[in-house]
Amino acid sequence: MKVSKILVMAWENMTQRKLRTSLTTLGVVIGITAIVGLASLGEGFRVEIRQRMQQGFELDVLIVIPGSLTAGLGQPFTPEDVNGIRNITGVKLVTPLITLPQANVYNKENERINAVTVGAANFSEMTQMLPEKLIPLEGEIPSDDENDTIVLGYKACFWNETTRLANVGENVTMQIRIQLQTPPYTTININKTLRVAAILSKSGSPGITNFDYWAFIPTQTADQVTGREAYNLILVKVLDTEKSEQVAKDIEDFFQKPYSISILVPITFMRQVDRILTLAEIFLMGIASIALLVAGIGIMNIMTVSVIERTREIGILKAIGAKNRTVLAMFLSEALLIGLIGGIIGVFSGYGLSFALSRAISGFMQSQQQENTVFQTPETQRMTINPVFSPQWTIIAFIFAIIVCIIFGLYPARKASKLNPVEALRYE
Amino acid sequence: MSGLPMASILEVREVKKTYHMGKVLVPALRGVSFDVEEGEFLTIFGPSGSGKSTLLHLIGGLDRPDEGEILIDGSNIFKLNDSKLAELRLTKIGFVFQFFNLLPRLTALRNVELPLSIAGLPEKEVMERAKEMLGFVGLEERLDHRPFELSGGEQQRVAIARALINNPKIVLADEPTGNLDTKTGWEIVQLMKKLNEEKEQTFVVITHDPYIAESADRMVHLKDGLIEGIKKAPRRNKQ
Repeated sequence: MKVSKILVMAWENMTQRKLRTSLTTLGVVIGITAIVGLASLGEGFRVEIRQRMQQGFELDVLIVIPGSLTAGLGQPFTPEDVNGIRNITGVKLVTPLITLPQANVYNKENERINAVTVGAANFSEMTQMLPEKLIPLEGEIPSDDENDTIVLGYKACFWNETTRLANVGENVTMQIRIQLQTPPYTTININKTLRVAAILSKSGSPGITNFDYWAFIPTQTADQVTGREAYNLILVKVLDTEKSEQVAKDIEDFFQKPYSISILVPITFMRQVDRILTLAEIFLMGIASIALLVAGIGIMNIMTVSVIERTREIGILKAIGAKNRTVLAMFLSEALLIGLIGGIIGVFSGYGLSFALSRAISGFMQSQQQENTVFQTPETQRMTINPVFSPQWTIIAFIFAIIVCIIFGLYPARKASKLNPVEALRYE
Repeated sequence: MSGLPMASILEVREVKKTYHMGKVLVPALRGVSFDVEEGEFLTIFGPSGSGKSTLLHLIGGLDRPDEGEILIDGSNIFKLNDSKLAELRLTKIGFVFQFFNLLPRLTALRNVELPLSIAGLPEKEVMERAKEMLGFVGLEERLDHRPFELSGGEQQRVAIARALINNPKIVLADEPTGNLDTKTGWEIVQLMKKLNEEKEQTFVVITHDPYIAESADRMVHLKDGLIEGIKKAPRRNKQ
């Protein structure tokens, strides 16, 4: 019997029992809706997280810190350390940073400037290292020989994004508390007058390289104030992001002593997060698949009933010359059609579901954010998840639907095909 | 016709069949042998439980005997596997049943088309042949009617058309008039006879109606699973 004819007959059979067919198909629709819905939502989530991580981390920039995060911070880096890293293969650019946590900056009215961190950097290297982060809104990034200057981050200068605390060209005072390295080892305050050279534009993204709350001073100025060349951070730009791990290993090898440094490799971190997201997605898919399995059992149930009801018909078909495999194909194609139709409807409704869920989640998150009055969340940090139509998951779900339908349809179909024609013809 | 002996299209040789009803053994056929010639109209006559239907099912390859063999066109059908046996039913045998056994959701035309569709013939040829066959049984006006829209006699005509559509070697009819009133039943018998004469189709018909039984070329009288006698009907000699 021709396949097209078998499919036509299967379709006719299904349309004869509309309610039953619809209900059976509904089970498949629900299963596929759940899988596709959660998959597109999960993909949307992944895209959102990836974007956020890319905004937060420069993927080609490794961050080297002295000591270990678990065993405690070690001795700051020396200029020799910096030069050593510069010579490692695969390294494009190296620049050290000094952080001065005890520093405060005041404007000419003696109001405290909102710089949470004061960092000392080589400006020309820093602009090469993070070109997208150090874009002046006003003024210009000072050249390497301009000492006693300061560059303010956007939020350091504009308190609450509304009140301006300093202008380019004005002098500000940096006050720093330093413990004397010689007796009597007391702590003293040093004041340093600095000229505001530039105000940075809003970086807008969270993460470790967000400099909105930073103020930068030239490295030489910091060395003068603190009296030593010691770096708290080294930023390393790699030539090839994919080889970040190798470069990081070479840097570790360069320092030799275990736990003497820690390296943050953004790409590793990102890969890890991606892997976690994949696992979470698979987990969700697994749960959604249960719905599809239940639908499969529904198909088996209905088809078994159908085989019993159509026993006589099967007997007739066999008497007029239908082979066992023709009868098998007739019943299996009904299961197949249920899978196909349920799958197609499920893919569309699943995508619809993911949109509805994403709207609901975004709405919920916004209402949460509005309640949080202490820290206003900036626009860029609001989570909005847009479902991503994942062709790969859709195809997997679709094939899964068909496989489930065929597997669960196989038992009743085999039962039908194996019926003894004489007994089937006698069946009342 | 010439006086040469006609070839046996069907040979039944010492066929035995016992059914198991739980622990009880019910012998249905206890060693039955006879031949059917090509173009013959043969009836198998006997009371209920004589083994008529069992015999017909065995000839049609719907069931297998415990012992004995059945040859169609000279070859033992029980040497065939299930798939080949189905093919034999499709190409060489046509069935007509007491309860018509049409597929209720299909129209008369579609019911008649079914064997050709199973054989995988092109759609157009299938339809043309089915229409022609329904015309032959006098139902050209009822092509698109479903079984429940047809009378018993009409349904049996559709069933006969379906049995003959593949131009089988043998048509097997199991009490074809058993579910019809006498007049309609007689019409059906006449139709089968017409087909037998015009198309030279071999018919093996089961009946418990003595009038029908005796109207055949030959009548096999079956009782308790054994042949009581084979009677040649004198008034229907093809010579």
